[in-house]
Amino acid sequence: MSNITHDHHDHRPSGWKRWAYSTNHKDIGTMYLVLSMFAAIIGGAASMLMRAELHEPGIQFITDPQFYNVLVTAHGFIMVFFVVMPALIGGFGNWFIPLMIGTPDMAFPRMNNVSFWLVAAALILLVIAGFIDGGAGTGWTVYPPLSSADYHPGMAVDFGILALHLAGASSILGAINFITTIINMRAPGMTFHRMPLFIWAMLLTAFLLLLAIPVLAGALTMLLTDRNFGTAFFAPDGGGDPVLWQHLFWFFGHPEVYIMILPAFGIISEIVSTFSKKPIFGYLGMAYAMTSIGVVGFVVWAHHMYTMGFNVETRAYFTLATMVIAVPTGIKIFSWLATMWGGSIKFDTPMLYSMGFIFLFVVGGVTGVTLANAGVDMAFHDTYFVVAHFHYVLSISALFSMYAGFYYWFGKMSGKRYPEWLGRLQFWVTFVGVNLLFFPQHFAGMAGMPRRIIDYPDAYAGWNMISSWGAYISAVGGILFFVVLYKTLTSNVKAEANEWGVGATTLEWTVDSPAPFHTHEVTPNIIPEPAE
Amino acid sequence: MELKKQKSTTRVGDGVVNMRKKSSRNGLTAVVLGFLVFSMIGLAYASEPLYRIFCQVTGYGGTTRIAVFDNKGLVAKNSITVRFDANVNKLLPWRFKPMQNKITLRPGEQAIAFYEATNVSDKPIVGTAVFNVAPFKVGEYFNKIECFCFTEQILLPGQTVQMPVTFFVDSSIAEDRNTKEVSTITLSYTFYASDDQSEVENLSRTSLEIKKSVDNLRRTQIIQPG
Repeated sequence: MSNITHDHHDHRPSGWKRWAYSTNHKDIGTMYLVLSMFAAIIGGAASMLMRAELHEPGIQFITDPQFYNVLVTAHGFIMVFFVVMPALIGGFGNWFIPLMIGTPDMAFPRMNNVSFWLVAAALILLVIAGFIDGGAGTGWTVYPPLSSADYHPGMAVDFGILALHLAGASSILGAINFITTIINMRAPGMTFHRMPLFIWAMLLTAFLLLLAIPVLAGALTMLLTDRNFGTAFFAPDGGGDPVLWQHLFWFFGHPEVYIMILPAFGIISEIVSTFSKKPIFGYLGMAYAMTSIGVVGFVVWAHHMYTMGFNVETRAYFTLATMVIAVPTGIKIFSWLATMWGGSIKFDTPMLYSMGFIFLFVVGGVTGVTLANAGVDMAFHDTYFVVAHFHYVLSISALFSMYAGFYYWFGKMSGKRYPEWLGRLQFWVTFVGVNLLFFPQHFAGMAGMPRRIIDYPDAYAGWNMISSWGAYISAVGGILFFVVLYKTLTSNVKAEANEWGVGATTLEWTVDSPAPFHTHEVTPNIIPEPAE
Repeated sequence: MELKKQKSTTRVGDGVVNMRKKSSRNGLTAVVLGFLVFSMIGLAYASEPLYRIFCQVTGYGGTTRIAVFDNKGLVAKNSITVRFDANVNKLLPWRFKPMQNKITLRPGEQAIAFYEATNVSDKPIVGTAVFNVAPFKVGEYFNKIECFCFTEQILLPGQTVQMPVTFFVDSSIAEDRNTKEVSTITLSYTFYASDDQSEVENLSRTSLEIKKSVDNLRRTQIIQPG
C-alpha cells in the first residue's frame, strides 16, 4: 500500500457511488449545498405563495385556510432546518473546516456521510407532512394543543415530528464530528487563539447544537407519545401542561437562532478582513463575544413567551438577560466597522453582501432590543413587527451570509470565477427586494396586524402590497443567483489559488482552485506566523 | 476497495502511528460528546418532574399550597372573592360542578366549599382532579387544608357525591406589592380518568372492561375529534 504516492492522490470513486458512499468532506459539503439550494426553491415558493395571497385583503386563490397554515409551517421548517443549517453548517462547514485548520478530512468521514443522508431523508418526510391528512399547519413552533391529536388528528404532524428527529440526529452527529475535528486535528501551531474566526464560529455552533437539539428531540418525543400513546405531558386534562412545551421548545429554539447566525458571523469576519486587506480588529474580543452570545443564549428563552403569564420578576429577569446579549453583539458590529476603517476596501460581491449583512443585522438587532422589553412585547407579540424583526436579524441576514460565502468561496470550490458584474447586479436586486419586503412589515405590525393569518383588514392593505412587491423582486434576485451559478459553472475564467490577494490569509487559499480531491496530505505547519 | 486506497493515501502524509494516536483521541472526544447529548435528553425528560416540583415549591403557574390552618391571629382588612370553576376531560363520563359560584372571605379566614360529581356511565371509574388558581401569582398564598383533589375518587355507576374543599388565603397576600391589588381569585379543577383503575378491581371484576371502554373512548376520540 505504501507504494501509492502523490501522483495517485486525486483518485476518486466515480459515478453515483462517489456521491452516495462519499466520505470526502468536499463532496459531502457540495451535496449539502445542493440540498440547501433545492430546499430553498421549495421554501421560497411557499413564501411567494403566501405573499401573493397577502397581496390584497381578502382571500385570493388559497381557498383552504389550513393550506395557508401548512405553507407557513413548511416555509419555517424548510428555511431553518433544510436551507440555512445545511448551507452554513453542513455546506461551508464541511468544505472549509478541514481546509482552514490544515487537516485532510473530518474526524469521522463515514459518520459525515450518515449525517448528510439523514437530512436528505428528513426533507422527504417533511414534504410528505405538508401533503397528507390536510398537512401540518402548526407553525414551526408546534405548540400544543394545536399540534395535539384533537386539532391535528391525521398523520401529518407525526411525519413532521419524525422529520425533525432525523434532521436533529443528523445535526448531532455533524456537531460531534465538527467538534472532534476542530479540537484534535488542527495543524501544528494553530492554537485556539490562532484559529480563523470561521472555525471559532463553527466550534461554538456545534456546541450549541449538541446542547439544544437533544432537548428538542426529547420534547418532540413527548409530543409524539401524547399524540399516539395516551401520555399527557402537555395535556392539562391529563395532568400535563402545554406551557412545558413552550419552555422546552424555546430552550432549544433560542440557541437555534444563534446556531443559524454564528456561522454567518464567522463568514462575515473572514470576508470583511480579506476585502479590507487588514487582520480582523479585536480578534480575541470577536471570538469571546461569540462565546458569550452562545452561553447567554441558553438563559433567555422565555422572552419568546412573555404573554403566557409570568410574574413581574421573571419578566424583568428575561428582559435584562436578553438585553445583555446586545453587548457582545455590539462588540462584533463595531469590530467589523473598525476592521474596515482605514482599510483598502475592494467592493466585490462578497464584500457587498457582508456590508449588506451588517446593515440588516443592525436593523434586526435594534428591533430585537425593542421586543426584549416584556412590556412592549405584550403589544407586539404575534404581530408582523415580530415577523419583520426575525426575518431581518436571522433570515435575510443568514441568507446574505450564505450568498457572501458562496461568492467568496465558489472559486475555491469550482475553480471558476463568477462574473463580477452579474454578482453585483444580483446583490443590488436582492438588497432592494428584501428591504422592500420586510421593512413595511414593521409598520403593519405596529398597527397591529397579526401574523400567521390568511386574511387581514383593509387598513393594512398598503404595506402588504409593498411587501408583496418586495417579495417578487427578491424572487428575481433568487433566480439571478441560479443564473450566476450556471454562468460560473459554464465559464472559462479560471479562479486562481488565491483570487482575493494579500487580504486572504487563511489556509484554504494555499491549495489549488478548484481544491483537489485530497488536500493537506502534508500537514501545513503554521508555527512561524499566525493564521490570522 | 476504493475506500481502502483512500485511507492509505491519507496515511502517507501523516504517518501511521500519528494517525492511530489521533483516532483514539477522536474516539474519546466523540464518547464524551455523546454522553453530553444523552444527558441533555435526560434533562429534557427530567424537566417534567422538576417543573412540577418547582411549581409546588414556588407556587408557580397558580399551583396552590397544602397547609394546616394557622392564621396566627392575622386577618387582612379587605375581603377577597373566590370563584369556583369545574371542568371534565371529555374522555371521562362524569358530570362535575361547583355547588356555589363564589365565596367572599377575608384573607386569614378559613372557608369550606363543595363540589358535586356524578358518574353518568354504567361503570365504576376512578377519577383524579388537577387544579390551579388564577391569577397565577396568588398560588403561593392559596392554602388548602383538606381537598378531594388530594386523593383519587371512585364513583359507582350513577353515583353522585358532594366533595368538600377547605382552604384559606394567607393574610400576607395583602402585604405583597405584586398581589395586594387582587380582589378575585378563581379556583379551577379538571377531573380526568385516572391511569390507575386498580381500585375498581377491588369493587368488582369489571376493571378490564372499564379499561377497554376507556381505551375505546380514547380511540374513537382520536378518529373522530371535536
